[in-house]
Amino acid sequence: MMSLILAMLNDAVFSAIPAVGFAMVFNVPRRFLPFCALAGALGHGSRTLWLSAGLPIEWATFLAAALVGIVTIGFAKRHLAPPLMYAVAAIIPMIPGTYAFNTVIALVQLTAQSHVSPELTSEVISNGLKTVFILGALSVGLAMPGLLYFRSRPVI
Amino acid sequence: MYADTQNDITRQVVRVAQLLLAYGADSELVEEISQRLGYALGLVSVEISISSNSLVLTSLVHGRCITTTRRTREHGINMTIVCELQRICLLTEKGIYGLNEVRKRVARIEPKTYPAKYVVPMIGLSCASFCHLFGGDIAACVITFMASAIGMFVRLSIAKRHFNLLLNFSVTAFVTTIIAQTGFQFDLTETPKLPMAASVLMLVPGFPMINAISDMVKGHLNVGISRWGHATLLTLASVIGITMAMQIGGLFL
Repeated sequence: MMSLILAMLNDAVFSAIPAVGFAMVFNVPRRFLPFCALAGALGHGSRTLWLSAGLPIEWATFLAAALVGIVTIGFAKRHLAPPLMYAVAAIIPMIPGTYAFNTVIALVQLTAQSHVSPELTSEVISNGLKTVFILGALSVGLAMPGLLYFRSRPVI
Repeated sequence: MYADTQNDITRQVVRVAQLLLAYGADSELVEEISQRLGYALGLVSVEISISSNSLVLTSLVHGRCITTTRRTREHGINMTIVCELQRICLLTEKGIYGLNEVRKRVARIEPKTYPAKYVVPMIGLSCASFCHLFGGDIAACVITFMASAIGMFVRLSIAKRHFNLLLNFSVTAFVTTIIAQTGFQFDLTETPKLPMAASVLMLVPGFPMINAISDMVKGHLNVGISRWGHATLLTLASVIGITMAMQIGGLFL
């Protein structure tokens, strides 16, 4: 239990930093940067919680992204700013970077070889599928509050 | 309402839509803001059609239509401007702003970005935290910090000279990977692969991808697909840079 809380805190702190960094690349106004950090920390922390509860990473990412979507709509209503402004910076830490990197590298290695090797092929397929499905879970999860609750009226 | 007033209102509304598209708002937001602004300023109907690089807007008052087309260009993402335009729309809707105030505030908008001396170390720290989250040791995190900070500096310097974005991503990925390889070449860290994966994450086109999916989910299929294509091209460009750097470093082949 204690180690789970420590792991969640670790994830939360180290995903708040990239959320702020990427928010600065997207030129989010300075007064909203702390909220991007908070949303990023909540998203990644909750994903760790779901993962430790035994969910597969795609579902955990989907639920975490939906949480980010709900939280950022709350922020948007308070500050009268578009919700995607907080949300995109917040989900950047959950982007499946290592999976995508492994896919691409295996793909390039496969191109360089003269014959098709089964190990590289299986690595491309498994990593590539993980990348695609985690990305899909992220963006559909983020759109979820808008699709379910704000169907025919504007968020702000 | 006289014809010249309708002209004027339509021009302001289409200017707002053009700015929103240029600075990275999703199609749903562009449509919503321009329609609400148009209604608030007294138009009866505002219809907007967005394609990948232009937009067409028709306004209707007293049975008189004006249709106007604008070319849009990508200017990089700037949420400060999107925020400001949303605020103008809301204030107009509440009746605080009239046409003159809207014109004044829209004319005053200019893109402000964070200075490089803050962005470069923040991106370095961000990628170092990615490396830590992936399970890298301290040395790997330091290598990631150096690689991505220098990479970000290169990216900003190239962007300042208005080079093609794809070229920019290739060169940045090349420089970043060359530096991130040092862990492999000199045996500095236990986890030499992680700096290479973590430091190029700053090139992930996150905003175009999320915008693409949220456009497609909400029915703006052609804009969504074109944004998706743009994001894919950017990713491919960075992959080319990474591959060249890895071949020079002799990591495979």
